[in-house]
Amino acid sequence: MALAQGTMFDEIRASLEGVGLPIDGLTGHRRLVVRSGDVEYVLCRPSDVPTYVAHGAADLGIVGRDVLLETEEDVIELVDLGFGVCRFVVAGPKGSLDRSLAEYQHLGSLEVATKYPRVAQRHFDERGIQVELIKLNGAVELAPQVGLSDQIVDLVSTGRTLRENDLEIVEEITTCSARLIANRASYARDRERIAGLVDRFEKWVASR
Amino acid sequence: MSAANDDLALPRGFRDILPTEARELHAIERTLMEAFERYGYVPLEPPSVEFARAASTVDERRMMRFLDQGNLLALRPDVTTALARVVAQRYREAQGALRLSYFTTVFRQDRSMRGSEREYDQAGVELIGPTGAVADAEILALLCDALTSLGLRSFTIEVGHMGAVRALFADLPAATVETVLERLRGSDLVGAFRVAADAGMPADRLEHARRTLAVRGRGIEALGDLACVRDLRETIHLARELFAGDPPWGVPDLGVIPALPYYTGIVFEVVSPHVGAPIATGGRYDELLARYGTDRAATGFGIAVPLLHQALVADGWKVSFDAPLVSLEGGDDAVRLRVAAALRGRGFAVALGGVAESAGRAIVRAEVVSAERVRIDGRELPLDAAARELSQAGPNR
Repeated sequence: MALAQGTMFDEIRASLEGVGLPIDGLTGHRRLVVRSGDVEYVLCRPSDVPTYVAHGAADLGIVGRDVLLETEEDVIELVDLGFGVCRFVVAGPKGSLDRSLAEYQHLGSLEVATKYPRVAQRHFDERGIQVELIKLNGAVELAPQVGLSDQIVDLVSTGRTLRENDLEIVEEITTCSARLIANRASYARDRERIAGLVDRFEKWVASR
Repeated sequence: MSAANDDLALPRGFRDILPTEARELHAIERTLMEAFERYGYVPLEPPSVEFARAASTVDERRMMRFLDQGNLLALRPDVTTALARVVAQRYREAQGALRLSYFTTVFRQDRSMRGSEREYDQAGVELIGPTGAVADAEILALLCDALTSLGLRSFTIEVGHMGAVRALFADLPAATVETVLERLRGSDLVGAFRVAADAGMPADRLEHARRTLAVRGRGIEALGDLACVRDLRETIHLARELFAGDPPWGVPDLGVIPALPYYTGIVFEVVSPHVGAPIATGGRYDELLARYGTDRAATGFGIAVPLLHQALVADGWKVSFDAPLVSLEGGDDAVRLRVAAALRGRGFAVALGGVAESAGRAIVRAEVVSAERVRIDGRELPLDAAARELSQAGPNR
């Protein structure tokens, strides 16, 4: 099972414990392959979890839906685990919406900075808005302040970072939370075990 | 230097297939086409390029499109759709069954950096006309027979039913059902059930749907006497009559929901423990031909040849030869040519000099001594004795 390291790791561990999977040795440090009972855990970057699962290097995985939307890997989404809730939003400087619209009328395109170009492109395509995407690798909220972009597409949980940088949400794209995912072939081959596990996760989610 | 390297680069997702693999792929092609032939399927080859709108059953972001004198063209992303067009155009008046097969290249625009190819071979058959369990069973049996003939050992054929999946959401408005199915085809079970719940599907029906889509194997008997389930069981039963196989094959699995949108009835996938994605996908698609103005039932399957190849290699499969290749050297030109012809006349493969690489087949070097004698391993032999020696040598490398 491939697990996303990082901010969600403690909750992932708690969910595994909650459904009765062994978690000995799952500390989230150093060791990248951890065998615990009859489960082998692969600890990797969140954005790599869908890749490991899609290629069959792991049968199952736990990762945020935000990552699934951006990586577009072919995996089965089995259970919404309910934690790690965050939102993809379009945001811009406070009170800038009119200016952005005027500029869109004038230049016919908006500049949007983001770490998630696929999610952003899909969203604006669906809305029929032409944008120029600027791919950044971090601190996207900086971009509108220094004139790099008109707006940003980013992932927010509390919205604090946006407020601290004088940005406001223009539009919400979608809400994301952690998912239990499976490799397509593993899901067929090991159905009984995986379906049993899905039931346990569903019960655990319902009991919270 | 860098300019030269640029000249040698290939576009992402395209690659050279070198001799060893090329030989293996040809062996796969031969065996599959022979199996298709045994069931009466005749080969057909649609062109590689078509108008982009004709290929519209595939997500347009996944097609490789280009402009040709103002027309938007696409490299064929899927053979089933192309064959549907051929049938509508050329067999419009045909009344009886059409049994067609193909082994050809498809092109898919894949997301970058996924290690996937944009050009690969697909093999398959389409049975146009007949409906009912016997036709579905024939396709299933042929698929199992073809894979077994190749020597694939560790695989299962998972058999589902789109009618059964659809029935689970029958109480929802038609447009919602389509959204739910679209999510299911995209493997997003969470999203599918959320759409259904938002449309007012009661919790107990949702739970029933969730459990039913996880049913595999004997669990299907607990679903009761539904028409789709009867259809599914009868199809698997008949398929095993057609091709017994060993051990018994064909597992009912209502979780099989292929990504392509045109399936209407029985659907199936071949899964190997060595490969992360299904090797083959198929099923009944009774409405696709109607889009081209020919309302005919159809069923068939497509095999992703690179994945099949990967599974075969993981099973320890190799191409086998009946004799090594003879690499002939020495002697004067006229004599060497005559010896080569004589050995070929005895059924051997002979190269005048070297070959690019052995590619899985043993190579025996022979030096021409005279028109009747060659030297192999330092021993001088008459051609008859050399031929005996060669046919006993190990043919594989």
